[in-house]
Amino acid sequence: MSFKEKSAWISLISTTCIFGYYFYSIFMLIGEPTEAARESAKDYLIQAVFLSIVVEIFFHAVLGLTSNKETEIKGDERDKMYEYKANNLGYSVLGIGVILSLVRIITLEHNPTWAEHYSAAQIPMQTAQILMLFFILSEIVRFSGQVFYYRRGY
Amino acid sequence: MVTKFQIVNRVREKRFFADEMTQQALADLVGVTRQTIMAIEKGKYSPSLEVAFKIAVVFECKFDDVFTYEIL
Repeated sequence: MSFKEKSAWISLISTTCIFGYYFYSIFMLIGEPTEAARESAKDYLIQAVFLSIVVEIFFHAVLGLTSNKETEIKGDERDKMYEYKANNLGYSVLGIGVILSLVRIITLEHNPTWAEHYSAAQIPMQTAQILMLFFILSEIVRFSGQVFYYRRGY
Repeated sequence: MVTKFQIVNRVREKRFFADEMTQQALADLVGVTRQTIMAIEKGKYSPSLEVAFKIAVVFECKFDDVFTYEIL
């Protein structure tokens, strides 16, 4: 397994676990008092981002110590091609997420009664959470795409 | 009309006749990773023209001695 493939595996597993737990925690905040839920959501987000950075740095440092070849670390033409292809997949998911979020914002702006209905769900910072969800999904699709191309070949 | 084709290579055979050159040695000479050489040999990856020509140069043979184009 090449350095870049191992790197994709690390990012895929850490992103899925950390942000999977983050969204589970956010979902569990439904029904909590609004102010407390908002504070907790902010804390969860900071924790998830911080933990994600620490885990990525730690595992990539360990990986870097075991790979001493410059070509492996920088990646060759095959690594770059798989990266481009996986980026396209991830970008598609992100694009869909942004468009859906825009449609949601515009729809709620024109239908205030729907906005009241949605706020009853009491997910703190709903629009931000939806955008975050699509961003994380796009990252998971990107890393999965890389792993898929490495496993299957192209 | 769409014709199916595949690029067949004889990299493994060329390595064998080059005094059993290792994948890593070939990878270093060509400037790619060992895993890429392995993927090329297995037919899981078709290299760029640049890398394909470099491989031919390493084995001191013509391009089409290493890579051939087969219509299925």
